[in-house]
Amino acid sequence: MGDLVTINMGPQHPSTHGVLYLELQLDGEVVVGCKTHLGYLHRSIEKIAENRTYTQFIPFTDRLDYLASMNNNLGYCLAVEKLLNVAVTPRAQYLRVIIAELNRVVSHLVAIGTFAQDLGAYATPLFYAFSDREKIVELFDSICGSRLTYNYMRIGGVSGDIPAGTEQVIKDFIKYERKQLIEYNELLTYNAIFLARSKNIGILSKEAAINYSVTGPILRASGVKWDLRKEEPYLVYDQFNFDIPVGTVGDSWDRFKVKLDEIEQSLRIIEQAIGAIPEGNPVSKVNRVFRGTGEIYLRTENPRGELGFYLVAEGGFNPTRCKIRSPSFSNLSALEELIKGLNISDAVCVLGSLDIVMGEIDR
Amino acid sequence: MLFIYIKRIFIGFYSLLKGFKVTFKNLLKKPVTLNYPVVKQPMKERFRGMVDLYPDKCVICYQCIKICPTAALDLGHKTLEDNKTKNITKFTFNAELCCFCGLCDEICPTEAIFLNQMYEVSYFDHKDLIKIDLMSPEKYKNVDGGTS
Repeated sequence: MGDLVTINMGPQHPSTHGVLYLELQLDGEVVVGCKTHLGYLHRSIEKIAENRTYTQFIPFTDRLDYLASMNNNLGYCLAVEKLLNVAVTPRAQYLRVIIAELNRVVSHLVAIGTFAQDLGAYATPLFYAFSDREKIVELFDSICGSRLTYNYMRIGGVSGDIPAGTEQVIKDFIKYERKQLIEYNELLTYNAIFLARSKNIGILSKEAAINYSVTGPILRASGVKWDLRKEEPYLVYDQFNFDIPVGTVGDSWDRFKVKLDEIEQSLRIIEQAIGAIPEGNPVSKVNRVFRGTGEIYLRTENPRGELGFYLVAEGGFNPTRCKIRSPSFSNLSALEELIKGLNISDAVCVLGSLDIVMGEIDR
Repeated sequence: MLFIYIKRIFIGFYSLLKGFKVTFKNLLKKPVTLNYPVVKQPMKERFRGMVDLYPDKCVICYQCIKICPTAALDLGHKTLEDNKTKNITKFTFNAELCCFCGLCDEICPTEAIFLNQMYEVSYFDHKDLIKIDLMSPEKYKNVDGGTS
């Protein structure tokens, strides 16, 4: 064993997906130790929640996992609704499911594109993914008026009904995206170079995944069939037919494939939901005042895993304690074990396949 | 050993061709991007741009001030001697604090405060950005892309 070299990867590095700082111990080109440093994007969001009213905090949840803002909005609103016993109309529930699943598709498209870019497929897959994403982002823009920080969900409903013609746009998108998924498989999934780079790299065993409390597609890629939409159905997820894609080995390729399959399943859910939207008023006005007492923990299935909100209310207009369990944080904790013994270029591959978003790790 | 090596080269070449097929198909498609500064995309109806105000419609209810999560708005008023009429003394907007959530637009009972369609908001001076006088009709005139 030769001399060990310590190198700093990040906090400003194109493949760390944000301001993540990895202190790598190298023996030649092999990683023998890894230390993760966090905190470069800390904005004390949990403390902010304790100083804002329930409605005022919704825009801040956009900034947690900024690739899946709708799902964050949804998780927080569901938690507050359960805490304060707020009723939601059936139409709002269906709209929430459709919007959340569309956002899941967006998030997974970005994950796939950036993962391929990390492996060296310079910009082509990323731009293909982004041009698909653009269609949904445009749709979200017309629904809620923003392209990234949507702030669409409200406590007890949504901020506005979908504009006329949206259903047709979504139906067209489903048709279009199914064709695109075949193209992704041709371009990436079964490409020999892609397989050589990602197959059997960074294997996360079933036991290790559970021990690290890894959730979401990463857990399912390791072979654990666990999806909160099936196990603890919230909203109206129990009314739809969909499968849970699982991997076999738990390597980087499985993690990629599970995400690609989940897009297909999300499209299935959207297709069923769009045909069954009930009539009614989904809008919840922002001038409603919420207050109450209680304690709640509610978790939802985000694109990256389980997002949990722990809220304590003591009668005021704001929660006295807010704890956020973010999926990327737990998923990242498995990294140190995964990249030991790999080459440094494979470490980038594993980090890309874990698909972290620093916004919700540092909060 | 040599056989495996040749096989790997062959499979690699084959999947490369398959990838090129996808790429060439896209080569013949129309571009998805816009030639931005020349061609501009119209904003959507619900687009949330800069905070704007119709001063005549404002009833000084302070709801927008209370709902703003980042305290980007500042409103002051004085009551006239007849104890009925209220006049706005200042109504300023700090674009640096604003998170463009649109809650003020949603809560306004008279639709006086709203978020306009501006998206090209660059200022030469930092001071112009933090104290935009919403009462002035020329508030966004000197901004690149300003309309009102």
